[in-house]
Formats: sequence, structure tokens, C-alpha cells
Amino acid sequence: MTIGLTHYLILAALLFCCGLFVMTTKRNAVGILIGVELVLNAACLNLVAFSRYRVGTIDGQIAALFIIVLAAAEAAVAIAIFVNYYRMLATIDADKGDELRG
Amino acid sequence: MSTIELLLITGVLLPLASFVLLAFVGSKLGKPASGWVAVLAMAASCVLAMVALVQWQGLDAAGRAAARSAPVLWATLGGMPIKFGVNLDSLTLIMFFMVTFVSTWIFVFSVGYMAGHSDEIDGVSKFHRFFTYLSLFGFSMLLLVIADSLLLLFIAWELVGVCSYLLIGYYFHKKSASDAGIKAFVTNRVGDFGFIIGLGMVVLFLGDLSLAGAAEKFHHEFMAGGPLFSRTFCGLSLATWMGMLLFCGAIGKSAQFPLHVWLPDAMEGPTPVSALIHAATMVAAGVYLTARIFVLLTPEAQQFVATIGCITLTLAALVAIVQTDIKKVLAYSTISQLGYMMLGMGVGAWIAALFHLLAHAFFKALMFLGSGQVIEGCHHEQDMRKMGGLIRKMPVTAVTFLVGVLAIAGVGIPAVWMPGHTPFGLGGYFSKDEILAVAWHRVYGENHGENEVAPGAEIQNPKSRIHNAEAAALRPEPRTLNPLLFWIPVLMAYVTPFYMMRCWWLTFMGKPRDHHVHEHAHESPLMYVPLVVLALGTFVSSYYLFRPLVAAAAPHPFLTVSYDGAAAEAAEAHATMISHGAHAALATRVGLAFAVGFVLAWLIYRKGLAVGEKLAVALKPAYTVLVHKFYFDELYGFVLIGGTMALNAISYAFDKFVVDGLVNLSAFVTERLSWFSGMIVDQGVVDGMVNGVGRGTWTLGGLVRSPQVGRIRNYILFAATGVAVVVLWIAFV
Amino acid sequence: MSGEAIAFYMLAVLAAGSALGCVIATNIVRMALCLLGTLGAVALLYFLMAANFLGVIQLIVYAGGTLILIVFGIMVTSRMYGEKLKPRRSEALIGALVVLALFAGLVAILWRGPWVTVVPTEQPNSVAAIGQALLGTYLVPFELASVLLLAVMIGAAYLAQPAARNGRGTEREE
Repeated sequence: MTIGLTHYLILAALLFCCGLFVMTTKRNAVGILIGVELVLNAACLNLVAFSRYRVGTIDGQIAALFIIVLAAAEAAVAIAIFVNYYRMLATIDADKGDELRG
Repeated sequence: MSTIELLLITGVLLPLASFVLLAFVGSKLGKPASGWVAVLAMAASCVLAMVALVQWQGLDAAGRAAARSAPVLWATLGGMPIKFGVNLDSLTLIMFFMVTFVSTWIFVFSVGYMAGHSDEIDGVSKFHRFFTYLSLFGFSMLLLVIADSLLLLFIAWELVGVCSYLLIGYYFHKKSASDAGIKAFVTNRVGDFGFIIGLGMVVLFLGDLSLAGAAEKFHHEFMAGGPLFSRTFCGLSLATWMGMLLFCGAIGKSAQFPLHVWLPDAMEGPTPVSALIHAATMVAAGVYLTARIFVLLTPEAQQFVATIGCITLTLAALVAIVQTDIKKVLAYSTISQLGYMMLGMGVGAWIAALFHLLAHAFFKALMFLGSGQVIEGCHHEQDMRKMGGLIRKMPVTAVTFLVGVLAIAGVGIPAVWMPGHTPFGLGGYFSKDEILAVAWHRVYGENHGENEVAPGAEIQNPKSRIHNAEAAALRPEPRTLNPLLFWIPVLMAYVTPFYMMRCWWLTFMGKPRDHHVHEHAHESPLMYVPLVVLALGTFVSSYYLFRPLVAAAAPHPFLTVSYDGAAAEAAEAHATMISHGAHAALATRVGLAFAVGFVLAWLIYRKGLAVGEKLAVALKPAYTVLVHKFYFDELYGFVLIGGTMALNAISYAFDKFVVDGLVNLSAFVTERLSWFSGMIVDQGVVDGMVNGVGRGTWTLGGLVRSPQVGRIRNYILFAATGVAVVVLWIAFV
Repeated sequence: MSGEAIAFYMLAVLAAGSALGCVIATNIVRMALCLLGTLGAVALLYFLMAANFLGVIQLIVYAGGTLILIVFGIMVTSRMYGEKLKPRRSEALIGALVVLALFAGLVAILWRGPWVTVVPTEQPNSVAAIGQALLGTYLVPFELASVLLLAVMIGAAYLAQPAARNGRGTEREE
């Protein structure tokens, strides 16, 4: 069996689920960010696979490119927020950031 | 890319380089050096412009066409190619030369002027900041001049706006200065809003933002009777609206009625900035834009332009009469002269208007620098009533200023009786009279001077193409303009010399009225050298140098396409030379206007202020209106601020009476109802049930509340659960 | 088994293994290392799919930039006092259930669907094509991305500046 679209999609689904699980279970805020990166990578992989096996153009690659750019931007802002968070609460535990709880 | 284009692009980039240099290491360069860097860059640009101009003059028509290279594809946006290139023609070159030349000397003047000003902010010298902005200003203006696409032009346009904001508000620690900067910027935004909509219409209907391409498509649209011409809005065709909206930008930038209010306030900036804004850059940008989009203006739009110009020049000239601040007089005279240029554009005197722009740039820069010298010499005294007799202390300034006054007043000898019509005069004489002549031609001249082209006039381009059959067929019935468009400007041509001579006389002649000011008055060489150079330039910038160059750039296609017979006639007539009849008629009406104005001013002000003050008392109502600048600031204050307040009041009243009333009513009804239900139903029957419900709600609330714990992870989990449910639904149901 | 298949399975195992490593690891530094594995494997998968440019970008931006950023973030925030950060057992259980259900659903969908595919064509110069597309069809997103990056640069610099200097900023946030 040759490698086709389905293989990539299942791999991407696996990565996605791992990322999601990391996001839901890690209490370290940076860990949540790592989970987000995994999810984004899964999406990128999907886009590239579709663009190669389904459409045959490079549009998917462009979209993936934008995702990479956005992920970098998002990581930069997130880290800046975490640094502030850490400075204010002296912890990086995401569960402690519940001051706005009703 | 041809040599000339390369020269121009280098010329544009030099001020930019200076800007970058000064922005980063300006503070290290220190006080005089950073100024000289800016001067050097601008002077180098000026030399390049001169070389380019000389080369251009050496080329024949084929060579000129070959010198233009195709624009570079910059980007494709929604299928529309965006191309940038150099718009190479005589107008670009002469404007480029004018901007660089005048700017260079203004920069030199600035080095002297700013040396005497405190420029410390928090104890750190910010001398370089001024020249950083000046360089950026120069760069933006030069970019605007060479832009061949409306988009590039718009980019440069906005850059100019930003620079004017920075420079007008240069003394930003002074409230009035920062306010003036904001006012200039915001007022310009109002105009730019129209401009942007106009650009949108160009994209929508013409699909091409390059100047040449848009003109061509516009012509094509006209021939085909496309939607731009067939569809109307409020009785005017969309093409007219497009032209008028594009012109809105120019209204803001060139301080035309009704957006002229920012320019007098802009006097808060340092005087060299006023000179730069008024002469070479900002206000010129508006006229230049109008010249470039002229081919997109329908006759109605042209009439709009002419009307705006006419109103502007009248208002400004009248207000200038009563101003006592030397810079404000000059500011209003600038607005008035810009009105003349716009009038010229509107009546089809394309060449004359641009010619006037160039001539005006020289003499207005000259006068502003002169006023800067006076203000600097008199310890920042700007009130003319405290000056007087300065000619003894500042001979060079006085004489050069007089040259400017003569030029703006249009001094010349109307030599209509001489064979070959060889007049003599300063730049303003030819340019302003030519605008008036064309206006006259448009108003009265259909049956006049068709073939009477003055002999000996230099004809740059035989316009045989105009006379071909296609053009003749295209040309509809000639339409004449409202005679007011001729008579009001003529009247104001008598007012201009009056207020300019008043200004000069009050400043330099007569007896010193304030000895404190008088004693300190002095000149410094760094500042009067530019004055002398610009005065010489005013002499040279006459008919024989600038006009042929401008005339060579006149957009020929528009003359053939022109939708309006009379406009085409007039344009043709004056493209070669003002028709003999028109000029003769004009000479008898305004030829000696300057003399009348001068004598009147001299009669009133030769003995100082007394006569003038008596007149002011005698004509009190008119005087009051003029002193308040026709109440425009008050009007805008009333309409905009008052309008907002009125809206507040209405909203408040609505709130108080309608909304409150409803609320009170419903409260009343509820109260009665609850009383009824409370007394009859509740106490008897429902209490137990209600308590049960309350307890239930409490429990439910606790349940619902528990997930909202403020933990991101839980939210993610909920979202994931939702996704999982959807996916499972798709997969298995 | 073709070479491509061997390469794919190796990379897939690497990627999935690293991702699972992320899940299992309790130490945040180890998580970051595992993320590096996944990112590298995905980059190699891009190469395998002839998206060379994207692979390079993935390595440079993701592995070289974003990951370094994350490591820096870990370094700055790693000094913790008190208990270790572990999820409650119940949370982990529910999370695992949900994620497994999701994965099962996805795999079911993917298996079932007959995917209409095209035969992949080799594009000789995909970098040039991407460049053209970025400055052509995708010009507006491209420019927007540049504006976004600028905003992020300013915003991140503002947010992360030392407390002494942004007295006003932090007060407003609190």
C-alpha cells in the first residue's frame, strides 16, 4: 500500500489529540502552549497533505506558512503574558489565574 | 531605466538618506552639523534635478519618449496590477527642480533661524529633530512629484500630511502649537476622506491607478458611455462625483474653502516650516494633484473646482486686509493665491495655474523667510503694529521682501501696444494675468480670438491633432461660465497689492512704533543669503523659463477629449499664447491693478496706523467680520461642538422623558400588580411552592457555577468535549 | 515496501512518539524536548511531501524560533515554590476519555471516507511559486501578517518590560 492522504490525516489526528490532551491536563502554562503548538502542527500537516494529494496546488502550503507565522506571533505574546503572570502571581500554574471567577 | 529617471530617483532618495541618518545619529552630530547634512542632501538633489532638466531640454520628442521606462510591477491586488514608476515629463522636472531649489534655501535659512531658538527638551538638545523632519518632508514631496500612480501619489500625500503635523506642532510643549498641528492633520483627513472615496471609484470604474492608464480608460469610458457617465447621483454623473471627490483631497491640502481653517493656525510652526509648507511642498501638493487628475475632471467638476477657488481667493484676500500678524497676512495671501491657482485649473488654464504655482513658490518662500528674519530680528515680535521703520536696520530683508511684494502684486508693464507683444514683468504678473485672461475667454470669448494667436509666441507643440475630425465631433456646444468667475478675481487682483503693500509698509517704512523692538533689530548673513538668492529666483522665474516647460507638459489628450468645447478652446488658445483680444481686454481691467493697490495702501498707511484705525471704526461691521475671519472657526466650533452638545441634549431629553417615563410607568404597573398578586395569591397559596423553586434555583445555580471556575484547562476540556461529540455524531450516527 | 513508505513510517513513529512523550512527560523541559522531536519529524514529513520550502521554514521558525522562545519562557518562569504541578487524577481521566473518543471518531471518519485524490505532481520550483503567490493572490493576508507581526513585536515588548519601567501598565492590568 502506497502512502496516501489517509496516512497523513491519521497521523495528524493523533498529533491533534495529543496536543489537546496536553492542553487539558498540564497545569504549567508553558505546557499548555506546547499543546497548542502540537495542535497547530497537526493542522499544518493536514493542510499540506490536502494540498498535495487532494488539490495539487500550493495553496495549502501558503496557508500552512501563515499558520507558522501566526504560531510564532502567538507564542511570543503568550510568553510575554506568562512572564507577567509569573511576576504577578509568583507561579506558572494556570489554575491560579482565576481571580475573575464569579 | 534612463539616466534622467535615475537622476530623479537618486534625488528622491537623498533626502530620505538624510532623514535616516539624522534619525539615528542626529543627536551625535550635534547642533550645526545635523542641519548641514540636511542642506547637503537637498542641495545634491537640486543639482541632480538641474542636470536632469538640462538633459531633458536637450532631447527631442522621440528622445523624451525613449527616456520614459515602463513602470515596475509592484504587486497584483485582486487582479489589478499595481505599478510604480517615474512620471517623466516637463512638469515633473520643473516641479522637482522648484521643490529642491526652494527647499535647499529654506534649509539653509533654517540653520541660521533654528540656531537662535531654544531647542532643548528635558535638557537634551533636539536641534537635529527639526532637520530630520525637514528631510522627511522633502523626501515625501519629491516622491509625490515623481509618482506616476495615484496610489504612490497617495502614499506620498499622506507622508506629507504626517510631516506637516510633526513640523507645525514642532514646539509641542506649547499648547497652541500642538493644537495647530492636530487641526492641520484632522482638517486634512476630512479632505483625504473624499480623496480615498475618489480613489475607490477610480479602482471600481477604471480599474487602473496609474495616471496615464486611468486617463486612457476614462477617455474610453467617455467614448463608450460607460456607467461612469451614464449613471447619475443627485443629478451629477458619477464621473463628476469622482472628480469632485478626488479634488476634495486637494481642498484639504491646499487649504481651499471650506477646509482652509488649518493654514493660518499652521503659523504656529517655526517660520522656515511656514515657508516650506506655503511655498514648495504641502499646499503645492494640492495644486499638483489637481493638475495630475485634471484629465479626470468633467466640465461640472471643473466648474466646482473653479467655484471653490473663486470663493477661497475672495475670502482670504478680504481677511488678509485686516490681519496685524505679519505671518497671518502671508498665510491668507497664500490661501488667496492658491484660490487663483484652483480657479485657473477650473477654468482650463492648466498651464497658467501651474506657472503661477512655480512663480508663487519663489516669491512666497522669499517673503516667508523675510518675515522669519524680521521676527527673529525683533525678538519674536510678530505684530506689525509694533514694527515700522525696519528698512534702516534690515535693508537686505526690506528690499528682497519688496521684490516678493512686487511679484505677488503682479507688477509689470502691460505692453499690448508693442508689436509681438513683448511684455516685461515679474512672474506673478504673467501667471495671474494669464489665469484671468483664460477666465475672461471662458466667460465672454467664444466669438473672440479664435485664430488670433499672437505672433511671436513660442509654440512648443503644434497641436494639429486637436483639429482632427474626431475631436471636432466630440466637442459639444461650448458652454460659458458664470461671469462672476471672472469679475470677482479681477476685483481681488486689486485687493492683493493693497494688503501686500500694507504689510510691507507697516513693517519696513514709516517711523518705528516700538523702540524696544526697533533697537534690537538686526540681520544675520546665514539668513539673508537665501533671501537674496530667492529674490533673484523671483526675477528669473518668469515667463521665459518656466512657462514653456509647463506648457510642454500640458496633457494633450485632454484637450482633444475635453468634454467641453469652450474649455478646449480656451485651453488651446492659451496653450500657445493668450489670445490677443483676451489679453487686451484684460490689460485695461487689471493691468494697472498693482498701481492702484499700492497707491491706496500708501495713502492710508504712510502716516502709520492712524488712518487705518479710523477706517476700521468707520466700517466697523465689515471690519469685525473680517477680523473674525468670517467666523469660520466659530461656525465650525458651533456646528461640530454645538452639534455634539445638541445631540447630547436631545439624547438626554429622550432618556429623561421617554425612557424614564416608560420605566416609571412599568414600575408603577408592576407595583400594583405585585401588590395584587402578593396580597391575594402569594401569601395564601404559592409561598411554599416559591420557596421550593428558590431552593431548586440555588442548587441549580451552584451546579451551573461549578464549571465556571476560571481555569483555562477546564474550558479547553469543555470545548474538546463539544468537538468530540460532534465528531462522534458524524462518525457513527 | 517503497522507500517513501519506510521514510513515512519512521517519521510518523518519531512524530507520534514525541507527541506521546509530550503527553507523558511531567517535567516541562522534557516536554519541550519532545516537542522538538515532533516539530523536526513534521518538517521532514513536509520534505517528504515535496514542500521543501515549508520544511525549511518549519525548521527555522518553529524549531529555531518558537521553541527557543518556549525554552526561554520555561527558564524565566521555572523557579517554583510549593507543590509540583500535577493534574488531579479525575481530570486526567476525563481528559483522556474525551480525547480518546475524539480520536476514535476521527479515525472512523478518515477510514470510511473514500478520498478523491490527485496524483501528486512534482513542482520543480515551488519556492518561486510560493513567492509569486504570496505577493500576488495572497498579498493582502501577507501584508496583514506583517502588520500583525509588528503589533506582536510592540505588544510583547510592552508586556514583558521590567516592572520598574511599566508602572502604569501593570497597575492598569491589576
